[in-house]
Amino acid sequence: MNRRLVLVLLIVLLSLSLVFANTIELEFWTHEDPNRTPLEERFIEEFQEMYPNVVIKRVTQSSSKIQELILTAFAANQGPDIFNMSIEDEFAYIANGRVAPVDYEAAGYKDMEDLLASYLPGTLDPVDYEGEIYGLPLEITNWCILLNKKVFRDAGLDPEIDYPKTWEEMMEVSEKLTIREGEIITRRGFDFRYPYYLVAFMPLVEQMGGKLVSDDGKTAIINDEAWLNFLDYMAAWGPNGRNLGSPTYKNARSLFNMDNNDIGMCTTGLYQLARIKADNPEFYDSGEFMVVPFPQFEDAVNYVPAHYYGHYYMVNSQKPKENQEMAWKFVSYMLSHAEEYLEKVAIIIPTNELLESETFKNYPYSDVFISDLEKSTVVYFSESSAKIQSLIKEAVESVMLSGTSSRDALDTLRRKVQEVLDDQY
Amino acid sequence: MRRIFNMGIEHKKARWGWFFVIPSLAFFAVFSFYPIMNAFYTSLFRKRLLDLRPPKFIGFANYEYLLKSPDFWNSVKATFIFTLGTFIPIVVFSLLLAVFIMSRRRFHKFFQMAYYSPAVLSSVVAAAIWLLIFDPRGLANTTMNTLLGTVGKDYKWLATSGMVRLSTILVYFWKYIGYFTIIFITGLASIPQSLHEAARIDGANGWKDFWHITLPLLKPTTVLVSIMSMLQCLKTFSTQYLFTQSGAPTEPINVITLNIYNTAIRDHNIGRASAMSIILFGIMLFFTWLQFRVSKSGGEVDY
Repeated sequence: MNRRLVLVLLIVLLSLSLVFANTIELEFWTHEDPNRTPLEERFIEEFQEMYPNVVIKRVTQSSSKIQELILTAFAANQGPDIFNMSIEDEFAYIANGRVAPVDYEAAGYKDMEDLLASYLPGTLDPVDYEGEIYGLPLEITNWCILLNKKVFRDAGLDPEIDYPKTWEEMMEVSEKLTIREGEIITRRGFDFRYPYYLVAFMPLVEQMGGKLVSDDGKTAIINDEAWLNFLDYMAAWGPNGRNLGSPTYKNARSLFNMDNNDIGMCTTGLYQLARIKADNPEFYDSGEFMVVPFPQFEDAVNYVPAHYYGHYYMVNSQKPKENQEMAWKFVSYMLSHAEEYLEKVAIIIPTNELLESETFKNYPYSDVFISDLEKSTVVYFSESSAKIQSLIKEAVESVMLSGTSSRDALDTLRRKVQEVLDDQY
Repeated sequence: MRRIFNMGIEHKKARWGWFFVIPSLAFFAVFSFYPIMNAFYTSLFRKRLLDLRPPKFIGFANYEYLLKSPDFWNSVKATFIFTLGTFIPIVVFSLLLAVFIMSRRRFHKFFQMAYYSPAVLSSVVAAAIWLLIFDPRGLANTTMNTLLGTVGKDYKWLATSGMVRLSTILVYFWKYIGYFTIIFITGLASIPQSLHEAARIDGANGWKDFWHITLPLLKPTTVLVSIMSMLQCLKTFSTQYLFTQSGAPTEPINVITLNIYNTAIRDHNIGRASAMSIILFGIMLFFTWLQFRVSKSGGEVDY
């Protein structure tokens, strides 16, 4: 009897240890997006049913917090199996060998060419490094201008005709839409998305022929005139100029959804539509908003819409091979639901299949976004892009808020960006 | 056994003393001393957070870079403006508030709780509350416009260099004044009432009593409060971080701790950030020593 009991116990223990030994646990860290959560939790359940030996733990945090968490986890060699963030922040992980190249077979492709052929040309360029692809895009996003028709009509304007096509018109239209109590703005016509200088402000410089970095990547700030015009424009926009907006007001994109007559226009991506639908279905159903292309300067020498950026799913190269393989399988499984991501989250996974689908073509304002996207180029990314972005922020803030002259702000910006470029190693 | 038995009572006390002190010494060694040493060691290397290659030894090059960097000196300036602008008012007003509360016969506990309550809030929550207040359409502009009889004036609490510095000082002052008031109240309560009574009998009025009895006897508490508040101010971070994240200009409030954070987390340059931490540690150590020196110069007071 006792022998039998011992034997049964041994078999149970052995089978349990075998089960646990074969279990693959995947940590999946991503930014908060209430529309994505139920979708991806369902994908996890389905995937775990397909692969019973896999356990996936999805961890979310705000988009700024998740960057810190991932960075510190990787610094301690404890990074998650799968993560995503914007390419400006993600590139350092590729350059430092922290992420694994795509396992084409596990991801369901014959080889790299097969993978590239499945996506809109150019959209995998940011993760193409030394002949390998290091990430698969959760979203490729470009920004246009979202406009509240009611605010336009309230100011006596026809949104279909009077929407701003140029940045000069943007200033004039905003002036008409803006309501102030003394110096305090109670309704802004339009305001910029201040933290995102590389995506939404650099195009203004580039439209006038300026560049952040020379083509060889060695010299900072090309074409002073373009930069000075840009900084003058921002100074005129700010509280010490025509007082149309400021980084210290609540960000325009968040206010837009509420339709509280406090913002006329904002810069945002297609995903905003899903957020309006979730936050304020009445406003969404009313159709009282529209999307127009990213404006250009009247004397622009280049046509430059807002830069596009991508959130790429990446896989930790320090994890065991079986984890990496399973991680790519899971990423590929999630991304195979591109139409659902579009319908429920309004993000574009740039597969040719999705872009040619009726779902995409019939999606509200997808034509405006895709038209700008086709003319757009990827946001500046390097190991130092976060720092460079903060330096542009300093320059813009100094002319808008502190009364620094555009020339002084530009000289400081040049010195600091050049130092960053020289310091890259 | 015999040896222990033969030990004097002082020796036995000392053994028990060590016994009680060892846990905190171990805690200090692991969580304070080791990180300081590690930061100093790291500061001698060119080290990036994500780099898998071994860090390169560069001696004192990070320190050399910082001492020549206008950005770092701007941070030193921002830190000192904030520290002086905050800790001196905190010491003065917390003392006055403590005396005020101690002189009340009623609502004693209520005042203590009311002043102390902001200290319970996390710095992030406090800064978030004040962000709403400093919003151009917030309570700060409304109050100032009502008080000064101005109409629709934007005081630009988070916009101009001077105002954004003042705003961070206000947040900190509001948050910590109650905490230091409580410490002063404890100090005031420890002064024997008989000394005040004797002074009154000798003809001292309230002011003379405060100046010649209370203040000198409160010196150890004042030194403690001034050192603690100064150190707290030199380490300030959350308010400046949250304000800059919400659109306030970075340069005027780019205190050393914020610069350390950005250098490490945004720029991934942990070697240089460690060098900055060590310099800040040196500054804090120096000013603590200086305060002790200055406070000892007047000698001990005893009645």
